[in-house]
Amino acid sequence: MGIEIRQITKTFHQFTALKEVSLTIPDGQLVALLGPSGCGKTTLLRIVAGLEVANSGSILFHGEDATFQQVRERRVGFVFQHYALFRHLTVFENIAFGLRVRPRPQRPSKEIIKSKVNELLKLIQMQELADRYPRQLSGGQRQRVALARALAVEPKVLLLDEPFGALDTKVRKELRRWLRRLHETMHITSLFVTHDQEEAMEVADLVVVMNEGRVEQVGTPDDIYENPASPFVYQFIGHVNLFHGRLQTGNVRIGELDITLDSHTEVHQAPVVAYVRPHELEISRESESTSIAVTVISIHLLGPMVHLELLPQNSTEVLEAELTKEYYRQLRLQKGDKVFVKPRKMRLFMGGK
Amino acid sequence: MTNTLNIHLPKATTEPRWVRYLLISFTLIFLTLFLLLPLIAIFVQALQEGLTAYWTALVEPDAVAAIKLTLLTAIIAVPLNLVFGIAAAWAIAKFDFKGKSILITLIDLPFAVSPVIAGFIFVLLFGLHGVIGPWLNAQGIKIIFAVPGIILATIFVTFPFVARELIPLLQAQGNEEEEAALVLGANGWQTFWYITLPNMKWGLLYGVILCNARAMGEFGAVSVVSGHIRGLTNTMPLHVEILYNEYNFVAAFAVASLLAVLALVTLVLKTLVEWRVHQQMQGQT
Repeated sequence: MGIEIRQITKTFHQFTALKEVSLTIPDGQLVALLGPSGCGKTTLLRIVAGLEVANSGSILFHGEDATFQQVRERRVGFVFQHYALFRHLTVFENIAFGLRVRPRPQRPSKEIIKSKVNELLKLIQMQELADRYPRQLSGGQRQRVALARALAVEPKVLLLDEPFGALDTKVRKELRRWLRRLHETMHITSLFVTHDQEEAMEVADLVVVMNEGRVEQVGTPDDIYENPASPFVYQFIGHVNLFHGRLQTGNVRIGELDITLDSHTEVHQAPVVAYVRPHELEISRESESTSIAVTVISIHLLGPMVHLELLPQNSTEVLEAELTKEYYRQLRLQKGDKVFVKPRKMRLFMGGK
Repeated sequence: MTNTLNIHLPKATTEPRWVRYLLISFTLIFLTLFLLLPLIAIFVQALQEGLTAYWTALVEPDAVAAIKLTLLTAIIAVPLNLVFGIAAAWAIAKFDFKGKSILITLIDLPFAVSPVIAGFIFVLLFGLHGVIGPWLNAQGIKIIFAVPGIILATIFVTFPFVARELIPLLQAQGNEEEEAALVLGANGWQTFWYITLPNMKWGLLYGVILCNARAMGEFGAVSVVSGHIRGLTNTMPLHVEILYNEYNFVAAFAVASLLAVLALVTLVLKTLVEWRVHQQMQGQT
């Protein structure tokens, strides 16, 4: 068992940041806490680190209760969003800090510290920059130093707060892959916070989607994308089109569309919302019984994909569709064309506005 | 074509040449009249009767006593305000608590109150007819018209300097580095000693320089509580005043020149440290 979070609640004045959050982080896995800003993900990470104290609930590391342990007793590695490197210390001294401040009996000798730091410098490929100060480094280099500094104390758990948030896209992608590889070699139970779904999907073994202080869904990246557990997850992970309709004894009516369901035959008259991903909308020139007539209002070419904005008849809500460039050429689509769309797949959620 | 034209065009925010020169020369004339000339005058007056007279005025027992008392005052007041300043700035910048704004206002109080009033507060408290003065007198403790009063008044007048300098610096730095140190296993003392103190050392030095300059130069508050006893309760500024009132200009300006040198040294140090503080603030991001 890696980290166990039990019934954590945290309030700041009147604001409730976390509402009875329970979560298990399996040993040796790389887990992403994903959610919009203000959803409580950073607060949860800081509570796990011991930098914040929860109002109630408990935290267990490898089965051992750590709720009342001091930050420095928890042996966690923490990588801050803005790195928080010691600005008056060199790269070498930054990495060595955690070893140098150990109580004398546990403190390694100077030689051991030196070889350990050099090893970490090699790991982050920055041996030549050992004598630089943080202000002389680029964002990506600072981030790697921050990571090496956290790893130097051999933490049981590695926590990262928006580790790539302040970097440009290219450096970000490189570092992501690097972190992934690093994790594959070291296997430290790691938890990282991000608001970027692409980042979570690419790096993590397991994604925890959070919203308004609660966990919405826990699953593998594929699972989260393919089977979102709630409308929130559907909308947060990737683009989505919404169709409002009514459910009546196993029959869903959305505009002109009629869909028969196998379940929900007992429900009389309830509003439903259907969620359809842009790539799940099939576009054709010919009308079918289950298709919706739309007008193409804009076309964006994004590399190999084409992104369309479509306006259905009798509606003002714009639909988004995605198709390959090949198919787009085949259809010879033009702005203003009248075409028909049909959802290949959809997911219904009861209620809705 | 357009390039060659652009060279001759002034920038949109640049004033015409004559306006610039007018402003610069006005500032220079003003500075010369009100700052540079008086400073030169001090040294000219002090050396009017030659170096021997200058030296005699400085080694005369009353002058030596005044210099010693000024140094003693600064040696006690500056370290106390250093500790107080760090404590206050730390509390204000790193914690949230009720009455924080009141504390900030209180720290500024010595800047807002006239130093003479500050002196009178101590007379009212510790004077013979004051609140606790009679009791202290009965114990044989003398504060007003004695060295303790001078030191108290100086501490009061100079206590905002260090705190005022550190608060914005600590606030700008935040406490992420301290958090990082704690996570890495440092205890509170190690975090302060290895992280917080090095990060604020230039700001601290700057505050100490200003605090020291004021502690040595303070006149108003000290004048009220001192009693002007020659050789006993006269600081350098008070000694200058007495000599001046006795028409002993050479001696007055000789002692004043020491204070002027102190001011110049302070300015140089201040500029150096300011430059470092600026660098440090830039190194943050």
